[in-house]
Formats: sequence, structure tokens, C-alpha cells
Amino acid sequence: MSEAAISIRGLSKRYGAGRPFALKDLSLDVMPGEVYGFLGPNGAGKSTTIRLLMNFIQPTSGSAHIFGKDIVKDSVSIRQSIGYLSGEVALYPKLTGREFLDYMADLHPPRRTGYVKELSKRFSANLDMKIRDLSKGNRQKIGLLQAFMYKPKALILDEPTSGLDPLMQEEFFILLKETTKAGGCVFVSSHNLAEVQRMCDRVGFIREGELISQQNIAEVAAVAARTFDITFINDVPKKELAAIPGAKVLKTGHMKLTISLRGDLAPLFKVLAGAQVAGISQQEINLEEEFLRFYKKGMP
Amino acid sequence: MRPVIKWTLLQRRSSIIWWCAGILFFVFLTLVFYPTIKDQSAQLNKSFDQIPQTARQLFTDTNDLFSPIGYLSSQMFYLMMPLLVGVLAIGQGMSLIGREERDSTIELLLARPISRGRLLLAKAGAGLLIVLLVGALATLFTALMCRLVGLDIATANILMAGAAVILMALNFGAVAYLLSAMGRAGRGAAIGISAVYALGGYILVSLSGSVSWLSWPAKLFPFNYYHSNQLLSGSYNWTNSLYFICVIAGCLLLAWLAFRRRDLLSN
Repeated sequence: MSEAAISIRGLSKRYGAGRPFALKDLSLDVMPGEVYGFLGPNGAGKSTTIRLLMNFIQPTSGSAHIFGKDIVKDSVSIRQSIGYLSGEVALYPKLTGREFLDYMADLHPPRRTGYVKELSKRFSANLDMKIRDLSKGNRQKIGLLQAFMYKPKALILDEPTSGLDPLMQEEFFILLKETTKAGGCVFVSSHNLAEVQRMCDRVGFIREGELISQQNIAEVAAVAARTFDITFINDVPKKELAAIPGAKVLKTGHMKLTISLRGDLAPLFKVLAGAQVAGISQQEINLEEEFLRFYKKGMP
Repeated sequence: MRPVIKWTLLQRRSSIIWWCAGILFFVFLTLVFYPTIKDQSAQLNKSFDQIPQTARQLFTDTNDLFSPIGYLSSQMFYLMMPLLVGVLAIGQGMSLIGREERDSTIELLLARPISRGRLLLAKAGAGLLIVLLVGALATLFTALMCRLVGLDIATANILMAGAAVILMALNFGAVAYLLSAMGRAGRGAAIGISAVYALGGYILVSLSGSVSWLSWPAKLFPFNYYHSNQLLSGSYNWTNSLYFICVIAGCLLLAWLAFRRRDLLSN
């Protein structure tokens, strides 16, 4: 098994003695080629974790390594290989997008010249307007450009798609895929469950500074409730269907029924075998509900 | 380091231009009327002598207020020029790191492979250049105006006085820079403490000539080591400038110690 790209061990943060832990004893690994989603409600400790990884704040205890280097002692060298985007993208309002990216490139020259131009085309970013005159979505694009322009080996992103239109979100997902395909890893915080479902391989759920659970997206999907839309020729066997263990009838109509079922599907097909079915279709699995279950599980 | 300096100067170019224009206008206004005053200097000096010594020391460090040196010292180099360049330096000291942190743009800079120490030094370098530029321009323009209005003072002495003004202003700026590098607590106090250090020090030092027990606390303030009259007459003891250099170096060192490991503020 390859070494973790990001390795966090017992990382804690407390903003002053006597104050509660903003992050408590966090341990996790992000492997090369993996997109790790960090999920949690506002104030759960997502941004604290990211700011610790970027060495913007100092850990109270514990340690973390990125590509084997300590986030505190080797922070400057680590940043050679990191692309970062903060939750509230703060840029220089008086500069144009182009000037801003030139500034960032002066500080850390991109590995390939022309890549910034290529990226700005992909994101249809307006680089000639002053940043203060750009919409939130367009500012977010500039923020993404500065994070991706180095082709970093690790991306640390806080709510990256905030303000992006669906087309640009799609472009962003493609870019993430390209990064992971090249062996890079992504640590992304979000509270947008649909977004996490779309881009992550694995998710960690954090609540009140503590990691509640880590799940593989594929595993979550495997145990997730499936939803079927069934059309009958005659009567709807509603009672029998509702009696199936793990089933929940969501909607009934004239000779139509929508049912969600967690676990074994055999009892459903057994009931359907005794009825006259005109059609059956499965809805796309929505992990949102599954994620919410994790939140609720962790609730006191 | 160079990109931070370059882009900080670029971002502040319009404010630098306004500062230059303002300070040049001040120099022009101060000196353009000298020819009219020059002829009445004996009479004006007589009137000025009637003001109590303590009050007089708030305006000048010379008794001859309307001689070329007395005029340039009292009207410009004793208070106004140090005050103007000092305000500029305090503003820069407070905002170079402070504004970046308040606006969270500091995260963009520190997300690149640049250490906090280098960032701090680069920002200090940018501040130094801004103060140097405005101060040097004001000094050169003063030297030029002195020639034009017939204020007979050696140009080298005017340049030396300008250099001392810049050094003292950098002192004020360095204190503000240190306080803003300390984070939330320091930033709140930065303007107050820097103003007390500059203006309070000026009043204390001015009064220390008449109130003997003030002479010891006056030694703590930069105005005690700045003598415009001596500078303009070429008799200034430059070992005084060691105070300025030590305070600037000390503030930068303390700023680095405070900034290198502290938590950056977040919005």
C-alpha cells in the first residue's frame, strides 16, 4: 500500500485555554489519487482543519504530514506542491484577474507556461476586469485558477464550487479528475452533499470538532436506500409493499407507487411477482439522505 | 521577496501619488511666502520673543524663528514634515500586514512557498520604499524651493535633515508595524500607541527644555534625538541616529518573533 499523501494524527486545536476544542484528536489519511470530502455543518471544524494543514494556525496538539513533511516545520517546502482555495475567496479588489494571477505567478511560477491561459479559457474567466467588479461566481473562477495553475500534487479546497454555475462545476469536476489521474490528491471541505457525492471517493463526517465517521462513497451507495417508481396494471398492493422490512412508501397515485427500500430487494420482487406490473424504474441513488443519517447518528 | 515588494507598490501606487502631490503642495505653500517674511524677520522675531519659552519650544528648537535656518526648521522640519511623513509611515506600518490579514488576502500569499519571515521583511521593505520615496521627494523639492525663494541653507544640510525626518518617521512606522504584526490585540492599539509615541513624544521633548524632570522620560522618544536646527546648520551629531536604527531593528525583530508562529486571524 502506498504512503498517504496527507496524514493527520491526533490533530487538535483550541483557540485559547479554557475554550472548547475547535478540532479534537483528528486522525485520517488521504491517499494519492484520492478525493477526500470533509463534511460537516458550519462551525464543525472543517475550516480549522484546512487552516491547520496550511499552517495558518498552529496545532494545540497532534501532527500532520503532507507528502511526508511536517505541516509546521516544513510548511514552506510543502506549499511548493499545494494548491489552496479558501472558503470565502479573498482577492485583491483593485487588481484585474490577470494582474492578480501574474502576482501569484511571480511568487510561485507555474511549472508550465501557458497553462494559466488554458485554464482561464476552460473556465471562461474574465481576466481583464477589476476583481471588485466581478460577480461572486467569476471571483470564484479566479480563485480556482490560482489554486490549479501550478498543477499541484495536492489540492486543499474549502467549498470550491460556491457560486459556480453548473457548467463551470462540471469543468471543475473534470479538472479534479485530471489531478487525481496524475496521482494528485484532493482534500475538500463542503456542506453540499450533492457536490460531495459527485466528486469524492471517500468522506469524513465531522461534528463539533470530532470526526464521527469515515465512509467510502461506494460503500455508502451500496447500503443506501434505493427508490423505485412502479406502475401497475391493476390495483396497487400497497399494504404488502409497506410491510416489507426496510421499505417506505413515499408516494402513491392511480396505479402508481414510489417506494424506497434499504437492504435486501428480494421481498420487493416477491410481492411484485404476485401483482401485475406495467413498469418499474429505479431513481438515481441520492446519498444526501445517507449523509444526513450519519449526522443524526452523531447527534447527542 | 521582490514580487511582494513590487506588487505592494503597484497596488498602492495611487495613494503614493496622492501623498507625493500633497506633501509637495505643503512644501510649496510653506516656502513660497518666505520672500515676503524675510524682510520683516527682525520685527517678527521681536514679537515671537514675547511668547513664553515653554510655548515657543512647541514650534521650534531655535530662538531665531525667521532666519533662513530658523524659518525652515520651525515651519517645516521641526514638526510638520516629521508629522506628515510620520503619519504616512504609521499608516503603512499598520496596513502592510494588518490589512492583508483583515481582508484574508494574507492567506493567498502564505499559501505560496514563502515563509512568514520573508513576507514580513518584504512588506517592511515595501513600506520603507514608500516612506523613502515620499520623504526623499519632499526633501529634494524643499532644496529646490529654497534655492528659488532665496532661503540660504546648504543643500547638503537640507538633505541631511530630510534623511533624519525619514529615519524618525520610519521609527513611528516600525512601532505600528510591530503592533499590527502582533495580531488582534496589537492592531487595535497600533494607531493609539504609535500616535502617543510620535505626538506625545514631541510634546514631552518640547517641554523637557523647561520642565527639568521631563528630561529623563523624554529620552525614550524619538524627538529627543532629532534636532532640526542642528541638522540644518550642519552641527547634528549623527550618533543620535543610532536610536532610530536600534528602534527600527528592534521592532522588526520583535515583529518577526510575534508573527512567525501565531495564528492568522480569520473572517
